[in-house]
Amino acid sequence: MRGGGGAVNTPRGDGAIRMFHVSKSYLAGSFALRDVSIELAKGEFVFLTGPSGAGKTSLLKMIFGAERPSEGQIVVLGRNIARLGESAVPPLRRRIGVVFQDFKLLPRRTVEENVALALQVTGTPPRETRARVFAILKQLGLQHRRYHHPLSLSGGEQQRVAIARALVNEPEILLADEPTGNLDPELTLEIMDLIASAALRGTTVVVATHELEIVRRYGKRAVRLEGGKIVEDTQASIPRT
Amino acid sequence: MTRTAYKWLLFIRTAIRGIVASPVTSGISVVTIGVTLVLVGAFALLLRNMEELLDQFGDDLRVTVYLESDVSDETLRGLEQLVREIPGVEDVDVVSPDEALERFRASVGSGSALLDGLDVNPLPASLEISLSASRRSAEGMEAVANAIEGLAGVESLGSGRDWVEGYLRAVALVRGVAVGLGIILAFATLLIVANTIRLGVFARRDELEILSLVGASRSFVQTPFLLEGVLLGAGGGAIALGLLYALFRLVLPGFEFGLELLVGSAPRFFSSVEALIVVAGGAGLGLFGSAAALGGGWRP
Repeated sequence: MRGGGGAVNTPRGDGAIRMFHVSKSYLAGSFALRDVSIELAKGEFVFLTGPSGAGKTSLLKMIFGAERPSEGQIVVLGRNIARLGESAVPPLRRRIGVVFQDFKLLPRRTVEENVALALQVTGTPPRETRARVFAILKQLGLQHRRYHHPLSLSGGEQQRVAIARALVNEPEILLADEPTGNLDPELTLEIMDLIASAALRGTTVVVATHELEIVRRYGKRAVRLEGGKIVEDTQASIPRT
Repeated sequence: MTRTAYKWLLFIRTAIRGIVASPVTSGISVVTIGVTLVLVGAFALLLRNMEELLDQFGDDLRVTVYLESDVSDETLRGLEQLVREIPGVEDVDVVSPDEALERFRASVGSGSALLDGLDVNPLPASLEISLSASRRSAEGMEAVANAIEGLAGVESLGSGRDWVEGYLRAVALVRGVAVGLGIILAFATLLIVANTIRLGVFARRDELEILSLVGASRSFVQTPFLLEGVLLGAGGGAIALGLLYALFRLVLPGFEFGLELLVGSAPRFFSSVEALIVVAGGAGLGLFGSAAALGGGWRP
């Protein structure tokens, strides 16, 4: 067991993500996360499961530096989130891709422009940006849609655009928060296969979902949260690929 | 091209996109900056020409020392020497009574025939004192006049001191109004530009959130907004410059001739450097307005 809710399960390795007794409270006396300790290895594919309000989103937000822990320490790619200065957050986020249930695409930008955003923030030259965006869109079967606007695409296509944006700068960690929540079952599998393929390339993948069918289908490590605590960690092994 | 250059191209494109996306609020900002700069610029133009006028007069500002009618040559030479040693005196020109009469004759032109009937030259000898550049002011003239008054052989003194004092008061008044108006209008303009940028930030909050998610730094997000303010301000400055020039050409004929007759030169518009300062002033207002809007605002 490499994850857990107390000192007994304190992580020791050099994983991509390590949490030590992390608690998060937005209101006094009310905890979104409570004494969470867990380690996710590089290249590992992990599901975060649990009902709504279990703390899945709070945990993901802390990994990409959108929230700070109220207590405990989180080390992501060697950086301590609790002590991270404001200027150190963007460089860390460039190493992390994030996919949301509501896609978070800009409706007035084309598919190509939406995906290019992740490269533009790093100052990547336009020619290189176009080439890399085309490559990832082709990989995800969207190259013919690159000049379309998101609202003219289906839900599955929009989520693929969001995945393309998350993967275009080859992140070390991919976080997905209910990535299939707005999709029908057939598209769900298609999207999950794309996300899973990132793990095959060595990216640490964390998918928050309440759809247990998906978890069972992929047979990967599943960490169950309830009331902000880890109540179950199905595997504590190094990733199976 | 470097990554920094690409980023700046992107910033400029994003800033222009921001302006185009909200034409009404952007237009209001440009017009407000333009009106502010027209008003302040009009006073600056007036002040500039008034000061130039003073400079032109300044070259001709002299203190004239009228001497007693029976002053001897020896006293005259001694007086000239004493005056030359007074600080601020650049040159002393001795004007004999005959020379004074000749000058007077030349100045009255066709009426000079009347002077032929004079048996005795009524004009006294005088010393015409040119002042050094630092003393070409009411205070400078007064200091030199005070040093001369009471010297042996001096009958009276003449200078344009009162005129200069009055003119300087008028210049100070115009300057005061321009500065006061400038401060009030600049403050109002800053608020309007800040509001425009704030609306832009609000309208693009989804984009900013996404930029933040993909790792955009604070400067990456804020620079286009600052540039937007600079572009709005420079646009306002350019409009103000055009309007000022049009007004100048429209109003100038009304007093061009009189001024040319009086001081020998017509009023002038801003030089190219001053025109650039007007546009840069607009850009500065826009920049400060944007900075005020973003102050303590967006964070990754």
